[in-house]
Amino acid sequence: MITKLSHSTLYVKDQEKALEFYRDKLGFKVIMDVTMDNGFRWITVQPPNQKDLEIVLMKPLAGPMLDNESAKAMQLLLDKGLMGAGVFDTDDCQKTYEHLRNKGVEFSQPPAERFYGIEAIFRDNCGNWFSLTERKE
Amino acid sequence: MDEDIYKRLCRAREFMDDCYGLPLTLDQISRQACISPYHFHRLFRQTFEQTPHQYLTDRRIRRAKELLESKPIAVTDVCFEVGFQSLGSFITLFRKHVGHSPRTYRRIFIVRQPLSRIPACFIFMFTGKPN
Repeated sequence: MITKLSHSTLYVKDQEKALEFYRDKLGFKVIMDVTMDNGFRWITVQPPNQKDLEIVLMKPLAGPMLDNESAKAMQLLLDKGLMGAGVFDTDDCQKTYEHLRNKGVEFSQPPAERFYGIEAIFRDNCGNWFSLTERKE
Repeated sequence: MDEDIYKRLCRAREFMDDCYGLPLTLDQISRQACISPYHFHRLFRQTFEQTPHQYLTDRRIRRAKELLESKPIAVTDVCFEVGFQSLGSFITLFRKHVGHSPRTYRRIFIVRQPLSRIPACFIFMFTGKPN
């Protein structure tokens, strides 16, 4: 039986910029930041209250599993903001929205009422989109 | 020292290198050198500056360290694989020799070697080789 998701990959164009964003703007904890001999950099970050999940900030680099063409295609999709999205939960959408906006996070939609709660939408500095959701009970 | 005796002592030492995973007795080890246990013990200590038992313990601890570093197997399994018969004495001896318990030793080693914490599927993606 599978018990939980422990690592999830987020593709980013620039790992250093992404690290700054997730650590300094979103306040995530950096769990790992190591570079292998072949240059591959392994960075994982974690939302403040979720100790069993590591988000892998992965650069789409050509290598054994990704040919040049695919790597370029993924980078293009990142540029266009088409690499998918995720949802982060918050206990106060309005307050977190204001806090993050003051830190320079770009929102495409301010907090709005939904069937499932209050939701705003922001993007990171590498082309990924996220909902910021305060769930209804 | 007589060259023949020295060769016999070395043979007994190699026997310990090969068979440390088994519960060896002084009788069994000294038999490899064809010397009585009492004389073997004395000659071994004179020649190698440690008792056969100390040599065997060093060998076992060295292997235990390698296993703790390289394989994610339980401390109990490491203990028996390297030839100790009791988990308690393994942990006590390990701490005495290395300065940490086996579990702590592994944790410290892994923290110092962060690459060993990267899931194998990612290593495979970036090196093309299984971990």
